[in-house]
Amino acid sequence: MAKYGLFSMTITSNLDRFMTLAIWSAALLVAAAFLWLLGDVLWHGAAHLSWSFLTEAPENAGRSGGIGPILVSTLMILAVAVAAAVPLGLATAVWLTEFIRPGSSFGRLVGLSLDVLAGVPSIVLGLFGNAFFCVYLGLGFSILAGGLTLACMVLPIFIRTAEAGLRAVPADWRNGAAALGLSRGAALIHILLPAAAPALAAALMLGIGRAMAETAALIYTSGYVDRMPSSLSDSGRALAVHIYDLSMNVAGGDPNAYASALVLITLLIIINSTALWLAENLLQRRIVTA
Amino acid sequence: MKKHIVHHLLRISAAALMLTVTPLSQASDQKLVLTGSSTIAPLAVELGKRFEKLNPGVRVDVQSGGSSRGVNDVRSGLADIGMVSRALKDDEKDLKSFTIALDGVGIILHSGNPVKTLTDQQIIDIYTGKISNWREVGGKDGRITVVNKAGGRSTLELFLHYFKLKDSEIKAHVVIGDNQQGIKMVAGNPGAVGYVSIGAAEFEAGNGTPIRLLSMAGVAASVESVRNGSFPLARPLNLITKTEPVGLAKKFIEFSRSKEVNDLVQAQYFVPFVR
Repeated sequence: MAKYGLFSMTITSNLDRFMTLAIWSAALLVAAAFLWLLGDVLWHGAAHLSWSFLTEAPENAGRSGGIGPILVSTLMILAVAVAAAVPLGLATAVWLTEFIRPGSSFGRLVGLSLDVLAGVPSIVLGLFGNAFFCVYLGLGFSILAGGLTLACMVLPIFIRTAEAGLRAVPADWRNGAAALGLSRGAALIHILLPAAAPALAAALMLGIGRAMAETAALIYTSGYVDRMPSSLSDSGRALAVHIYDLSMNVAGGDPNAYASALVLITLLIIINSTALWLAENLLQRRIVTA
Repeated sequence: MKKHIVHHLLRISAAALMLTVTPLSQASDQKLVLTGSSTIAPLAVELGKRFEKLNPGVRVDVQSGGSSRGVNDVRSGLADIGMVSRALKDDEKDLKSFTIALDGVGIILHSGNPVKTLTDQQIIDIYTGKISNWREVGGKDGRITVVNKAGGRSTLELFLHYFKLKDSEIKAHVVIGDNQQGIKMVAGNPGAVGYVSIGAAEFEAGNGTPIRLLSMAGVAASVESVRNGSFPLARPLNLITKTEPVGLAKKFIEFSRSKEVNDLVQAQYFVPFVR
């Protein structure tokens, strides 16, 4: 009997050891994949990075010169996408969580259409954006058309994440607000949105991350022109489109493709940490201090 | 009726949006839109920049997307000038085409592959799947990875035309879009075979990328053999218009065919057009 117990203990501890090893290696593998990518881009790109690279216009199809106009176009496209997606997305998320009964059929329909929209491949959205914004609405190849196409792409992911954040706010808080005689709007602005701030920031980050990295949706909407844009109706090449063109279409474009990729990753990290910091320090403080 | 109202509302809001963002000074007759071949696009951007410098106030907007798109956009009026990296087909002869440069398409292998040359028939057999091992054409034992171009690409059409193949007959393992993608695919796979723009391949091979251009029908694949017309698989890079070009479009096309831009053409590894 004692022997049997000992035997089973050996099996358990072997299994434990194996599980520990497997879980650790899985986590290490994931971290290694990111570090490898970052290291590769840093290794190849850092040498070409300079202040003039960030400010000058591209020359000789992007092999020399910098990415100044492309950086400006990218930020303008992003600004249009965020300006269109955030108010619309936030309102929809609030509507889904606060204004309809859970499980209502119209709410389910909206949810379903969001999920379908989230699964649409970006090239399909690009062709839709080209047909709808560029041709049908007559916006042409423009930063505006590109930004609005990206907004369509970012909306589902933004709404779903924001919705989850709002749902996570305890129902007691809503009841408390109602008991204190706060109007629905006041409760939303002073309690619900600040409480959900980290989730809203996460939603924004996911959206921006997807938008910044987008190539297929932009090549047919905001286009290929690498001149400094003078208005939202100009065509402007996004950073991701530039990287794609340099590495897949321009012989000898790799060094600058790497440097541009490094700029893109750095920009993403900066925007993400800013959004996180804002959520932690500004919005949340309004309710957590009490 | 209801659809009409929605339609109008959308247009009005789009127009309002444009008004708020468009500076009033922007005259459309001073702007040229080019769309089409991704092979020509980087060259057209450079041509446009120099043309803008010589003609202050003029803007040349270049959009990429493939030769078929160039044809469609010129037909629909979305573009003033299309970029097509092949000769026009029979059902496209209503369009006007103007050659600005030449480009060759060459077969590339990994530089570690001992195969030095392939006959036309061997290439056909490889691309139709009849030959699937390098041993059968005098190489080392190993599977052949067939790299093909995506539909609508001129390089594909030129390749099919030359070897009298149909796209449906090709048994490809990898389907790619742009030239550099083909070069990277073959450079990273010792068993691969692909076909790409000769200028780009020559540049990459000269810079240590492990690829090798095969000679075809006994003619070495080089920019030089494309220039003197001896290389069989060559193509013109064309600008196309819907009708006989006038005004700014005419001026730009003449500029693009002139000697003043030879350096720009060569910088993109193409062969300048000689009148």
